[in-house]
Amino acid sequence: MTVKVEVIEGGVPHNTILAAGLVASLVLIYLTYANVMSGTQLFSFFGGLGAVAALVWGSHAIKHLCSYGIGTGVPSAGMMAFGSGVIAMLFATKYGVAAPIVAVVLAAVIGAILGFLSNNVLNMRIPVMIQSLIEMAIIGALVLMGFAAMMTGSFEFSPLTSGSISILGLSLPSYQASFIGGSLIAVAFMLGGIAIQHPFNACLGPNWTQDRMLMLAAECGFLSMIAVSVMSMALINIVAAVVSLIVSLVGWYYTYVKYIELSKRDAAGWLDSKPIPDVEGQ
Amino acid sequence: MESIAFGIGITALAGALATVAGAAENTESDIGSQGDPNSQVQLAPQMGFLHRIFNKAIAGEPPAYGLWICLGAGIAWAFMAMQINPVLALVLGSALAVFIQGVYATTAYLGRTASLAKFGQPVFVDVLKSMTTVTMAHAFVAIFTTVTMCHLINAALGHPFPLPLLGLVWGIALGAAGSATGNPFYGKERQYQSQKFGAGVPISASGNIVRYAEAGERNSLDNGWFSAKLGGPASGLCFGLIVFLEIWRTVLFEHMGAGWGAIIVGVIIILIFTVIDRYIEVWARKNYGPYAKPTEEGS
Amino acid sequence: MSAVGAKPQAGGAMDVPATIAGIILLLVIIGATYFLVGPGLMFMALIGIIIGGLAIAFGVHFVPVGGAPAAMGQAPGIATGVAMLAAGAGLAGLFGGAWAAEQGLIVAVVTGAVGGGLLMAITCMFVTFIYVYGMGIPCASGKVAKDPITGDTQTEFKSQGTEGHGLPFVSYVGGVIGGLLGGGGGTLIYIMLLDVYKEALPGMMGALPAQIMPVAVSMAGIFAVGMFLVNAVLTAYNITGTIEGPHDPKFKRFPRALVASAVASALCGMVAILIVAM
Repeated sequence: MTVKVEVIEGGVPHNTILAAGLVASLVLIYLTYANVMSGTQLFSFFGGLGAVAALVWGSHAIKHLCSYGIGTGVPSAGMMAFGSGVIAMLFATKYGVAAPIVAVVLAAVIGAILGFLSNNVLNMRIPVMIQSLIEMAIIGALVLMGFAAMMTGSFEFSPLTSGSISILGLSLPSYQASFIGGSLIAVAFMLGGIAIQHPFNACLGPNWTQDRMLMLAAECGFLSMIAVSVMSMALINIVAAVVSLIVSLVGWYYTYVKYIELSKRDAAGWLDSKPIPDVEGQ
Repeated sequence: MESIAFGIGITALAGALATVAGAAENTESDIGSQGDPNSQVQLAPQMGFLHRIFNKAIAGEPPAYGLWICLGAGIAWAFMAMQINPVLALVLGSALAVFIQGVYATTAYLGRTASLAKFGQPVFVDVLKSMTTVTMAHAFVAIFTTVTMCHLINAALGHPFPLPLLGLVWGIALGAAGSATGNPFYGKERQYQSQKFGAGVPISASGNIVRYAEAGERNSLDNGWFSAKLGGPASGLCFGLIVFLEIWRTVLFEHMGAGWGAIIVGVIIILIFTVIDRYIEVWARKNYGPYAKPTEEGS
Repeated sequence: MSAVGAKPQAGGAMDVPATIAGIILLLVIIGATYFLVGPGLMFMALIGIIIGGLAIAFGVHFVPVGGAPAAMGQAPGIATGVAMLAAGAGLAGLFGGAWAAEQGLIVAVVTGAVGGGLLMAITCMFVTFIYVYGMGIPCASGKVAKDPITGDTQTEFKSQGTEGHGLPFVSYVGGVIGGLLGGGGGTLIYIMLLDVYKEALPGMMGALPAQIMPVAVSMAGIFAVGMFLVNAVLTAYNITGTIEGPHDPKFKRFPRALVASAVASALCGMVAILIVAM
């Protein structure tokens, strides 16, 4: 019934990206647990790196799904991913150190049911629908968890819901000044929701190339990390936040420059202040 | 009484800020060809019409503005939690959100254009440099005004949502109102200026967008100038009215009839707009058409 | 954003076995929640969330959205994405409903509904305004010969080579109804979750009810947004992205979207409730 319009020629196969993204993201999010072991918050930035890994995988998963033409815009797929991911992620935070694993499993279940609903009940009949929505929900949950860990230094429920506010030099506990109490989770939601769909939305077209899109995905992830690290200044100590900011700035600059190079490689021309070139048929 | 006067003052200010935000949002997105008219900018090179229009396909306007406003609000919230002065926090938050917007704009243009290499559409670096800065300036106006409006709603009127969540809600609403109102004016009236006025663009003409200006080749600043004449102000009025009437009915009538006062006023407002809409529709039917009389066919 | 390629040819037919499987899944989820939390506030909250999800899914079918062709006056409807326009209306409704939360469930839900309807009423009016006074184009539907509400004939106002343009009156009314249902549904989900969290969080976190209020509001708010988006996107899939309003033949596909969104809302609602119940 459906026409596959763009096949993925060459490049890294999707399953490799899937496996690498899942493992890298989980490992990196777990590395923030070094905070607990060392008693500092310096390792928070690993959460952001985990989110970047998940976003790279996510952009390819979106490409995989949207190359079938799902009838509505690419951005809505990202919104779906995070709408289902946020629920799995918040539920999982209750399970302490097991949180990232629980998030992956629960998100997979939610994604599978949503995939069944779209594919069978709504009669969309897209071969990769169920698998893609499973992947999307997992990615949504992991990205949110990564950004949460980066902002607060932890992925467990109580640090996410309680913070401290300093008034006249006194530090008072406050539920309002926290990742969830202050709704910074809404910011993480939107940052991820745009970053996951932007690479494919921006690179679609007949000359789509995989390495360029994945580089853009990493760039979007690091760019989001910059914003996350600035917001983390309110929740974790300033040294850890500055470490996060430096890591994200370096990563962003590297990927941005690389992305521009790749665009230059792929573009038909790279003109500055030149008129529209003549082509045949005009 | 004083609290009501205060509430009305804040309501008016929020409405005014929203009006500015809506106008800036639509002008920004039209300069960047964001939203649905983007499809034509994307299509033109495939039909052999190379152009110098900025093609900034970040996402649809509602999710994109959902992010910019939410991000501005989140960073402002974080700075306020660090005991920084709210005015400074709002400006810094908006500035950082604009930085993110600018980077996304460049990657979107480069990505879309590079993927069109098959049709010979080159990347124009000067377009990138001059348009990105202009969209960033407009985006700053839109983000700063909306985030400030959200802060007023939260801090002065006591809405229970924290600032970032309000930013998400009103950002998506801003994008929805701006794209709904402004897109057709840019998409039909500007991109297809050469087509017949007063009619939809025939599907066969798709992709043949206007690429030359009064002098030289059209760039997106010309489009911003055009949008600012009607599409922008109309979007601004649309979003401003939404925000103003929504808050106004709550602030003034919330305590009448145990909450039903605000509801009744809301329903009356909806009915008034329905009547206006019907009036416009009938006016158009009387004055513009009919077109397809069997003898006159073939426009 | 049609550059991706062909749209799926999803037909209007219902897949009966899948629908039955969906309904069984719904009953299993409701049963499991009943088993885990027992009757009472939390179980009622789940029912409320399902009703809210149904209202959203049904409401999105009314919102007249033409997608990219509408921006060129090639197709009737509002020129933006259906899921996000519905989200704009629903979240504006949620804004009003959350404000009225302390005035009781019914007042809050109706306030939210009117908030969503207000956004759509103003937006649709401005769409007509731009089409008529900005572009000189009258409204014409491409799917029906006569407006079912006003009886106005449509075809002679349609310009050559298009499928119609603008918002005929029936689409306007559809938009307002969609806003009403979306705003009300979103608010209902929010209030239900807020009640559950206000009840359970103080015990769970060992804090005073007033202290956890920001956490409860934020969690209920972000979940309401998330569930709204899931329901709206599922419905957008059902109508393949565009619809003219309640008179569009695609509107008849709504039963399967109701099944899908009931299951999706029940699933998400169950997890959201179990955060504080387990």
